[in-house]
Amino acid sequence: MDLELIGNLIRLRYKLLWANTRTRNGKIALFFAGYLLLVMVISLLAAGGVGAGMVAIRSGHGTVMAGAVLTGIFAQGLLASVILGFGMTAIFSETELRRYPLRAAERRVTRHFIGMADPFWILFFVLDLGTAFGLYLFGAGGLGYGFLAVLLLFACNYIAARVLAMLVERLTSRKFGSMIMLGAVVCLGMVPAMMEPVLKKNPALVAGLKHAWQITPPAAAGVAMTRVDLAALQALGVILVWTVALFALLAALERWPQKPAAVAQNIKVVWEDRMDRMAAVYGPKTGPLVAHWLRFYWRNNRFRTIYPLSLPLAAFLLFFLSRQTHAGRPFGGGPVPVALTVFGIIGFVGTGQFAVNQFGYVGGGFRRFLLLPTDPAAALRAGSYMFVSLSGALIIPAAVLWSLFGPIPSDARMLAMLVGCSLASLFLFHGVALWTSLLGPRRGHYKQAFGNDLSFAGNVVVIGGMLTLLFGPQILAKVWPAAISTAYWFAPPLLALVAVAFYVASLRYASTLFRARRERLMALLEGKG
Amino acid sequence: MAMDAIRISNLAKRYGNVTAVEDLSLEVRPGRIFGFLGPNGSGKSTTIGCLTGLLDPTSGKVEILGQKFDSENAAIKRRIGVMPETLGLFDPLYAHEFLAFVARMFGLDEATTRKRVSELLDALELTDSSKTLAEYSTGMRKRVAFAAAVIHSPEVLFLDEPFESIDPAGVALMKQWLRRFTDQGRTVFMTTHVLETVERVCHDVAIITKPGKLVWQGDVTVLATDGKLQCNGQEFDALEPLFLHLTGERYKDLDWL
Repeated sequence: MDLELIGNLIRLRYKLLWANTRTRNGKIALFFAGYLLLVMVISLLAAGGVGAGMVAIRSGHGTVMAGAVLTGIFAQGLLASVILGFGMTAIFSETELRRYPLRAAERRVTRHFIGMADPFWILFFVLDLGTAFGLYLFGAGGLGYGFLAVLLLFACNYIAARVLAMLVERLTSRKFGSMIMLGAVVCLGMVPAMMEPVLKKNPALVAGLKHAWQITPPAAAGVAMTRVDLAALQALGVILVWTVALFALLAALERWPQKPAAVAQNIKVVWEDRMDRMAAVYGPKTGPLVAHWLRFYWRNNRFRTIYPLSLPLAAFLLFFLSRQTHAGRPFGGGPVPVALTVFGIIGFVGTGQFAVNQFGYVGGGFRRFLLLPTDPAAALRAGSYMFVSLSGALIIPAAVLWSLFGPIPSDARMLAMLVGCSLASLFLFHGVALWTSLLGPRRGHYKQAFGNDLSFAGNVVVIGGMLTLLFGPQILAKVWPAAISTAYWFAPPLLALVAVAFYVASLRYASTLFRARRERLMALLEGKG
Repeated sequence: MAMDAIRISNLAKRYGNVTAVEDLSLEVRPGRIFGFLGPNGSGKSTTIGCLTGLLDPTSGKVEILGQKFDSENAAIKRRIGVMPETLGLFDPLYAHEFLAFVARMFGLDEATTRKRVSELLDALELTDSSKTLAEYSTGMRKRVAFAAAVIHSPEVLFLDEPFESIDPAGVALMKQWLRRFTDQGRTVFMTTHVLETVERVCHDVAIITKPGKLVWQGDVTVLATDGKLQCNGQEFDALEPLFLHLTGERYKDLDWL
């Protein structure tokens, strides 16, 4: 093993990370990231480490509590890294590492050491360590066993995340794989709600699940952190077996080449497809640009996953939130605010994360828009028309489905309220998205099906929009209940008109801003900014 | 006297304190292939950016086909073709989709679009319609970008390093097209680092040094008849010695290499 070379490459990863802070935006991001990490570490160390230790020791259930806390951390690590893409940056791919005089085994070690040294994973290491220290300080278990358990659990967590990420990547690279994946995630989200009555009826199942849980790495780490006898050694053995097995699986997956997508032999050239026909309504000048955006995004795995699942996701949200509408629960305002929330979300959930970073995936293609004999901002407007049309197209089917299967009876006034809410969110959000695309763009990975490609501003708009729609109607139901009753059925349609005015004004003024910022956008999207 | 195809007056482009192009003035006559040369980072692509509407000059004036040109001038953009340095392709599209999109945006009718796209794909040997642009080799991507630049039959063609990465047969075909293009009175403005190609293809040449400063401009067709290039009282029998003389490019010898 050439440890010196491996060490140099790991150092280079941190140098590159540091180099990102040379720009003004990088410095701001570093400040926020550092601040948030500090707050998270302090609060999570207190809650996850010391807190868990105190509660565990005092209640006499140290092992179970430690196992539960570590299971939570382990699951968070898996979910955040695989679904949101945190801590999975392949700063050096296998191909890049082949440039250096490293053998295959050394390349694998380098890649994974660099992966584990990611700030995201270090946070999880600190959380595991905090739990072990918390338990030790309160007299449950030994420091040596605890530390060994932390090291093994951390490695196991990282390797499990890599295995899961590779499996997800392979699934999503297949046709309909992304949809299957997101469907699986939604089903997983429904499991706790669906399991509750099943477990109540079958206590034997609880015992079986508990037994299965005890041989998982985090539960075993809980034993190793709270015992100083043979049981601790056995628990370390369990984690070791898991780690070795997962590593073997990872090595096998890395060696097992991904099947390339089946290549059609000279597919038939289609001159006018359904994209062109759909976009033709925008006229001969804007139509080709709208068709281009439709084609561009319809071939994006992430878009193809999220957009078709918008209505099922809204239905899931309706099902989930409707279970929380009893008084005293977070969504205790009743079924109407929940319906408003869901219809509001339909207005942007299918296209939102793309609309706030419209040019994020075009890369060098951005230059082409500026060479066309049109107003340079025409591409911005055409993209926005495309997003608005696609999200808008979901509103009518949603209203029809609500009328047929909605949990509460609806009259015309209720439907006007719900559709008005969708339209208001549609135009308001896509108006804001125009500004975000220009003021907070980020270069994304077109082929990546999962992960968070948005800038800070993009995240604020998408997550902020979601939270506003989740809690806005609830707050309104508390402070002014009449406002969400059918007596004020005209309020959401009126709000929609205001949103349309805002959208039209945004189109106009964002076009002016586009002209002023286009050189900066070009540099950023081509990776020079 | 015929108007210049391109006329640049005191063009400057600055990024904060960094000057990319400084007080550049030159004229390009119609029906000529104009080679725009300079060392790496001398401002060639920035100049092309200013001439094609990608970048706004900090100061100075650009006239194309006798009209003042800026990034908002769609009428002139319709009459020029550009093959940018970064190609400006949309990777998920197929070549025919990309070319049809460009043709439609330049106002070509449907029948002409289909005819020209098919002919260009055929001529440039881009007939493998099972691959998206992302799956094409660098040379094939360059051919697509070239096709996109000429599809609307422009009057002035801007090519930023057009021949690099393209195989000899492709280069020969492109050179033949460029000569026919200029025979019809149209103009080509191109940058390249391959000086032998410039000697064989170009009529006129301008050489700039950092930061975008013109140091020489002249007719290089004299080289074909054993003539010499004149500069500061000296004579040069090829472009390379002239280029090295003007740009002062000297590389330190490494005795260990």
